[in-house]
Amino acid sequence: MFGYLQIQKSELKVCEYDSYKAIYCGLCKQLGKDYSFLTRFILSYDCTFYAMLLMSVSRSCKGFVSKRCICNPLKKCNFALCNSDSYNKAAAFSVISAYYKLKDNIADSRLLKKLFSYISLPFFSHWRKKAVKKRGYIELDNIVSDMLSMQFEDEASDVSTIDTSAHPTALMLAKIFEREAETEIDRRVYYEFGYHIGRWIYLIDAADDLNKDIKNKNYNPFVRANKTDCNYIQSVLSQSLARAYDAYNLMNIIDFKGILDNMFLLGFPAIQNKVISKLKTEVENE
Amino acid sequence: MNNPYQVLGVSENATDEEIKSAYRALAKKYHPDNYTNSPLADVAEQKMKEINEAYDTINQMRQKGKGTGSASNTNSYYGNASGSQFYNVRIYIQRNMINQAEQILDTTPQSNRTAEWHFLKGMCAYKKGFNEQAMNYFTTACNMDPNNSEYRSALNNMNVQRNYNYGGYNQPYGNDMSGSNCTCCDVCTAMMCADCLCSCCR
Repeated sequence: MFGYLQIQKSELKVCEYDSYKAIYCGLCKQLGKDYSFLTRFILSYDCTFYAMLLMSVSRSCKGFVSKRCICNPLKKCNFALCNSDSYNKAAAFSVISAYYKLKDNIADSRLLKKLFSYISLPFFSHWRKKAVKKRGYIELDNIVSDMLSMQFEDEASDVSTIDTSAHPTALMLAKIFEREAETEIDRRVYYEFGYHIGRWIYLIDAADDLNKDIKNKNYNPFVRANKTDCNYIQSVLSQSLARAYDAYNLMNIIDFKGILDNMFLLGFPAIQNKVISKLKTEVENE
Repeated sequence: MNNPYQVLGVSENATDEEIKSAYRALAKKYHPDNYTNSPLADVAEQKMKEINEAYDTINQMRQKGKGTGSASNTNSYYGNASGSQFYNVRIYIQRNMINQAEQILDTTPQSNRTAEWHFLKGMCAYKKGFNEQAMNYFTTACNMDPNNSEYRSALNNMNVQRNYNYGGYNQPYGNDMSGSNCTCCDVCTAMMCADCLCSCCR
């Protein structure tokens, strides 16, 4: 995942922003506690979103405490408390997905990045093993590794389309969210939600990298489908977001609803606008 | 049954107006139009029923005796399917059994691939989340049979989603940065003006 799941800070209430930050800090702390000091640096907005959604649907946030922050010991920070394994899951997912992302980088990036990935791989491999063996997130690991092999297969295939190339990431998140459901109806709602938010993430990342991929002759689903028109890309992204939002509305969200609504109605569209307008200016400059 | 106030997400002390607007907001959210062809259409329908009941209950408790006048009519989408050669396919799709539906469709000989066939292929793709494929099939179906309202409404639904009409998103580009119209030059000019004024007053 790539950091597109952000809030629109200017439109949040101060108390909502504080809770958001408290979850962010809480997850950071959990990463340090469960794995290593260094894993704190892989903390991402996407995993914060994941942790927040988990805490919201399991209603496991039990208030906040004020403690010192590791990064800046002079400052006191709020940390969101949670009485279920939401943080652990989000931390495990961060570590596991970072490991596979690194492996993916080794397979298809340039010399310097490749070298860096090689050097850091043993560390991530160790943390991933810890997540799988010691903390029992083997299913999560399988889901992510299945996604990568499916993705690899699709990129090599002749019949790859926009739909099939986004399918692995979409399916990964569908499976990850589906596991949180308690009833069959919830399972379907969570699956649909995960599928479309995953599709959106994959495709917005592809749109963001479009011109870089053209220059470096890397794989890009929009280039492969020969559909690089900005308005077209925007409508593809919007539809995925719309379907994710429709599914989100069927979830029983009570805690952090203001923050999550802000993300769906303002944060994600703003990021999408930013990516599309970047594309437009790049097209104009050529 | 759950507490009707909780269902609508309002406190028990809420005024009638607040309850009405909460109900309206939810009813808009769960409206069947948002879930046309969606695999979650039945879930939305269920939610709609719940808020209708909750709203009615509250109104009765407050002795208003007003009903919502709502009736669920979401099943009409498949109303006239019985005469179709793809009757079984429609049943499978309705039950979200997409693999079975696709199996029948894929074994249909080329000569029988009518507008309806394309529409149903589009439905399968849509339910799987393959939006682009669905778009192509729906477009073909509409081109083959431009007067069919069922195909037309599926295509319209796609186009509505592709605009993401929620939350005031539909604004022109660059609106996400407030004050972005203020360039360096504007700042400079403002500073110079301010400076002039300052020296005037001295």
